[in-house]
Amino acid sequence: MNGRTGFMDCPGNDCPGNGTELRLTVSRCLRTVSSSRDVGEVSDALRTLLRYLDDDCHGEAAVTGEFHRVYYTRVLQVLIGALSADWMSGLSDGQRKELWDKFFLLGPPDQAVLALVDAIRSSSPSAGLERMVYVLEQFVNKGRIADLLWTRCVDVGVRSESAHLRELVLARLVSLPDLVCNRLHTNTPAPLLPQQYYPLLATQILHTLQRTCQALRAGQDCCLGFVAQLLGKTCVQSHSELLFGVLAPQLSSLTHHDVLWQRVSSTLLENVPERWTEAVVRGLIQALDGAEALSRVMGNLVMKNKRAQFVVTHKLLLLQYSLQVQGLKTVLGYLALDPERRSLLKQVLRSVCKVWCNSSAVRHTPVEQQLYVSRSLLLCVSLLSQDDIQELRTELLQCMLGGVQCRLDSSTERVRKIGMVVGECLSQKLDTPTSQLKFQFEPDDDTLELRSLMEPPSAQHVPDPQHSQRTEPDSEGQRSAGQPVTSQSPSANQSSAPKGDSDSELDSDDELTPYDMSCDQEKPRVTPPRYVRDCLDVLLSSDDAERVRMSLQVAEELLRKNISATQEVSVQFSKVLLHLEDRYSTPAFHSLRQNTMVALTVTHTEPVVKYWTTEFYGLNYSLRQRMDILEVLALSAQELCEPIADKHSSFVEPITDKHSSSIQTLSMEPVTTPEQCSGPVHWRHVVEERIQSKTKRLSRGVSRAPPKTAPNRFAPVAGHFFFPLLRNYDRPQVTFDLLGSDHLVLGRLIHTLGLLMHLATNAPVAAQMGRALLDFVWVLRFHADQMVRRGVLFAVCAVFLSMPSNCLLLELSEDLTETRVWLAEVAESDPDADCRSLAVQSLRLLDQALKTELQLNTPEHT
Amino acid sequence: MSLPPPDPQYILRGSGAQINTLHFRCDNEGPPLLFSGSGNGAVHVWNLNTRRPEKVLEGHSSSSIIWVSTLNSRETLISQGRDMRVCVWDLGEGRGDVTEAFVTGSVGFCQCSLLETSPGRWLLAYPGEQMEEVRVAEFPSLIPVCSLKPDSKAGMLMSVKIWQKDSGGCPEIVAGYEDGSVVLWDVTQRRPVSCLKVYSEPVMCLDFDSGRLKGASGSSEKVISSWTIDEKQNLQMHDSVELVNPGISQLRVRDDGKILASAGWDNNLRVFAWKKKLRPLAVLKHHTDMVLSVGFSDHHDPRQRLLAAGSKDQRISLWSIYNQS
Repeated sequence: MNGRTGFMDCPGNDCPGNGTELRLTVSRCLRTVSSSRDVGEVSDALRTLLRYLDDDCHGEAAVTGEFHRVYYTRVLQVLIGALSADWMSGLSDGQRKELWDKFFLLGPPDQAVLALVDAIRSSSPSAGLERMVYVLEQFVNKGRIADLLWTRCVDVGVRSESAHLRELVLARLVSLPDLVCNRLHTNTPAPLLPQQYYPLLATQILHTLQRTCQALRAGQDCCLGFVAQLLGKTCVQSHSELLFGVLAPQLSSLTHHDVLWQRVSSTLLENVPERWTEAVVRGLIQALDGAEALSRVMGNLVMKNKRAQFVVTHKLLLLQYSLQVQGLKTVLGYLALDPERRSLLKQVLRSVCKVWCNSSAVRHTPVEQQLYVSRSLLLCVSLLSQDDIQELRTELLQCMLGGVQCRLDSSTERVRKIGMVVGECLSQKLDTPTSQLKFQFEPDDDTLELRSLMEPPSAQHVPDPQHSQRTEPDSEGQRSAGQPVTSQSPSANQSSAPKGDSDSELDSDDELTPYDMSCDQEKPRVTPPRYVRDCLDVLLSSDDAERVRMSLQVAEELLRKNISATQEVSVQFSKVLLHLEDRYSTPAFHSLRQNTMVALTVTHTEPVVKYWTTEFYGLNYSLRQRMDILEVLALSAQELCEPIADKHSSFVEPITDKHSSSIQTLSMEPVTTPEQCSGPVHWRHVVEERIQSKTKRLSRGVSRAPPKTAPNRFAPVAGHFFFPLLRNYDRPQVTFDLLGSDHLVLGRLIHTLGLLMHLATNAPVAAQMGRALLDFVWVLRFHADQMVRRGVLFAVCAVFLSMPSNCLLLELSEDLTETRVWLAEVAESDPDADCRSLAVQSLRLLDQALKTELQLNTPEHT
Repeated sequence: MSLPPPDPQYILRGSGAQINTLHFRCDNEGPPLLFSGSGNGAVHVWNLNTRRPEKVLEGHSSSSIIWVSTLNSRETLISQGRDMRVCVWDLGEGRGDVTEAFVTGSVGFCQCSLLETSPGRWLLAYPGEQMEEVRVAEFPSLIPVCSLKPDSKAGMLMSVKIWQKDSGGCPEIVAGYEDGSVVLWDVTQRRPVSCLKVYSEPVMCLDFDSGRLKGASGSSEKVISSWTIDEKQNLQMHDSVELVNPGISQLRVRDDGKILASAGWDNNLRVFAWKKKLRPLAVLKHHTDMVLSVGFSDHHDPRQRLLAAGSKDQRISLWSIYNQS
């Protein structure tokens, strides 16, 4: 078939004769090569064939073209087949290069690469394979790929080739490293490894584009279709980072001054097939720095290509959240740069607004994505002009009000903060200075970053290399001009130096060095109370801020020292503390109050715990007070679990056995300080660590060092802590609706119960507690609030960990499958990362419980 | 990181009452002595080698002692009590008798001040019968020299210091009054030379460095101020330093003029650089109640010049600070 077309393409009358002659010569030579054993004979035949490869040798372009079209692949195949022939071993290295390698490096590159790669794929390790890889390496290094691409750009004949062949060449080029590596494994030469190959490919593409520019200047038509396909396919196979690492900076700098380059690069991107647009655009955005560069390289692609528009305005912003802040800035800045694209920016803002104020999205998307959308929103707003903002004012206002509100309702602090800071920023843009929103919150990394997005982008842009080169002499001139100034300054210093000396001379009598005076503090006006009752009286009725502060500071110590006095007034004291408000903004008020409450609970456990648990469901308490109760219960339980001896000397005691002591300190964490008192995180940390250590130990089968024995003060009273809290949860009151809107407290309650469960490990009452807790959390499995779900999973973990496995399986027997399905589903699809990992841990624990139970049971039966 | 402040070298206990005044006597005639006057009318003579009281003198009929000093030798003591008397004691050869006494008539807390004009001759400035009056008498003859009363309403005399320029010349007096002003008196001309309003509260204490013509004063406020006398004999504010807690009971400049010590109502002793500007150097914590008096040792060896502080908590603390050169 090929032969026929070649025949017909040939101009002139003498061609048939030439054609026949060519055919005869080639077939004779090939026969010699494949069958002869004589080195000389073969060399002659190869030299004859070589002559056809090169235009200059033979002098007739038509013959060379004919040879390329019709016989070249055949010749290559024969040569590859002859790799193991005897004459090959007879050739010297130089001769081999001359007679064998040259065929692959001089002829049409597409056929050469196809033949080589196919042969490499199908051959087994041998000297021949090495030879072929060597030639392939040469092929790549010598820029033959650029030649290949170039032929596809200009050659009309090649453009009409079959789609199949085109695809084949494309696939071979893109996955060349994979194909070679599959065969050669670790012996792959470095240039054929992805880390080197793709940057090389990028330079080849660049080279081709360069030639295209030159050709266009010369008035020649070019077609970038193949290059664009190569680009797309490489990107879609996730090599875009390597490719654009080289390509993007070069394109950015080349398009800086040359309009033709801008046209070429935007045409290139337009020609990328739709199915690969996304990969190319994303790679480009990530690799380019700055919106201006993107605008130069991409042109108005988003206006011409629907797919690119969808990717840029929707997919990258709303469906994914993988771009860095810089990437986001690039995308949105790109949209804002051109007046034509500004309408798109408004459209983007509208859709981002819609997503941002969607309360369902707030609840069901991960925090990271919410942060991403918030970033986009703020960037959009900061890029809009004042007129645009006035135009979009109502929409933005709606978005702000709705979004801020549903975020403030969230129980995750991070989400609330995002809501607050975005609200503030939007309000800053929308409202008059007097009526702006203002929230009180501690700035953290998120908020600072979001705030910084609102600042107008700095005018400086990265200058291209040429540009900076041109400015370099200038800066040097400035430097030399600046020289006198700098040389003057030391003399100025010198002139001022004597003055300083004289000054110091005057000072010299003050050689007296001051002592540390940090202890010099204001003398307290009042003396701290010395009796528990005095302390109580002050807290109950004093209006003197100083006395209240002193009393609070000494209260914990007083209570712990005077146990009998404490027991007389414990419940009264608890009542006072529970209702105590920070009227005088006492420093560290909350931790002092909390520690005192814990001290009370620990010293006189039963009555005080009874008081707490009753009041938890009492009327007219604020959420804060209820949360306080839960925190105090948790901390007290933790302290009760602690061996008494450890309580005061734990920090002095040297750590002897790392393993046991780490477990001890983990579970016996001393009373938390205010900084740590973000409650559940801390507890969860403790338990998770413990779970981890347990899991590992069981799977490895390493025996654990026996823990220190000490009476557990918590075990006998665990029930007092636990069961009253489960009593009234489903009775909503006017001020407190646990299963309704007060899910913050619900989440904390479940956490606390989980912690109590965990601390009651090995207590006789653990089985009953576990049963009750499982019953309680079962109905809350699918709660909408993530804090509650987290709490539920934490509680489930604690139950699995603390309940004896036989009781556990007995309890779960009916629901076992359902539990597993539920946990698996959470582990897979919950938007909250903590929930997912907790679910995974629960599953693991459950499996272990099952396994141990089965192992225990089997020996009994046999 | 600067050094932590030093601890006291040792503590003298057993006075049985608050310590109002301290006076060192460290000549070559015997062991270094520290005289302390306490609230129950006793004067303790502490031997600083044995660190024990050598003698306890009672002669002010149990009225609080507010000032003690020695005349030409360690054997002649002069003390002032709240019983309005100034007594001269003979302590030679184990005696402990009041040889002379006169009544000042002052009911206030103002301490006397003594100046040796020529060997064996002294001038004593003491508060007079009228509240604002300063009297000056020659010692030991007890001939009254003059009586100085301010014209304006300055209020009660709070603190007085009589001094003479190092080069000699006529004796002068700086006196602090209830209205917070400090007045410079020329004794020979018997008239006020200059007046400086330093505080709005009464001047509780002052000390004057005749070498530098510079003085410091403290009050119940949070500020210690220093002032100088310029060529025209005018008092000029020089510097001030803010304290953390208000109230100064006594100020003393060390004889070498390097440091100033203050006794604070906040139980702390403070040390300041004195030569140029007032610069806080140390806060010495030991006492558990107000510090009422401070004194610097006059030991001939600078390294043994101790700082002593007497407090309402009945203890005397002795400190070794900035005396290593």
